[in-house]
Amino acid sequence: MSNTDDRHAGEGAPAKAWLMGTLGWFLPGFGHLVQGRWVRALLLGGAVWACFVGGLWMGGHLFVVTGNEQGLAALLQVPPMIANLGSGVLYLVCWLFGVGFSDDPLHAARATYEYGNTFLLVAGLLNYLSMLDAFDISAGRKS
Amino acid sequence: MRHFMVMTAFAALAAVVFGTVAKDSNRDRIVYGLKVFAEFMLIGLVLAWILYFLP
Repeated sequence: MSNTDDRHAGEGAPAKAWLMGTLGWFLPGFGHLVQGRWVRALLLGGAVWACFVGGLWMGGHLFVVTGNEQGLAALLQVPPMIANLGSGVLYLVCWLFGVGFSDDPLHAARATYEYGNTFLLVAGLLNYLSMLDAFDISAGRKS
Repeated sequence: MRHFMVMTAFAALAAVVFGTVAKDSNRDRIVYGLKVFAEFMLIGLVLAWILYFLP
């Protein structure tokens, strides 16, 4: 693709591409599904959903800034919360129902607690990649 | 065994996403996905052995 084509692809992107990206973030796999890329939707969405559900099943912990933290502790909650937020509606539903946010010692004592944390963080990060892929496809930067 | 299964699941899920979003042809995607999976597994096992000898 020439530079001129690249520029046009970038200019033509806006509204639809942003919408696809947002849909992809909100419901993992949906951004691709709407564009008729159902194999990609199945693979990407399936991986993110499996990662998230697996993380919860292993007893992982979702991060949130509550405002009760003091100083640096609040800042330390922000990066993992951003990673968790990548899961879109999965994170929001858990937040609404209070699932996965408990921070009790009994929960943390589970052998798979840290694995669960990692799976939940990575689910969000993988969905950010998936979201960017949906954006790029819609913008015509990717086939 | 549980640790190995979890590591395998993690490597497989990450490899699926990496393989899907990267490259241009299906063949390249599959090869890249398998490569990412193998790298995750290999690095995980190497790190596990290194950490095993640390007190």
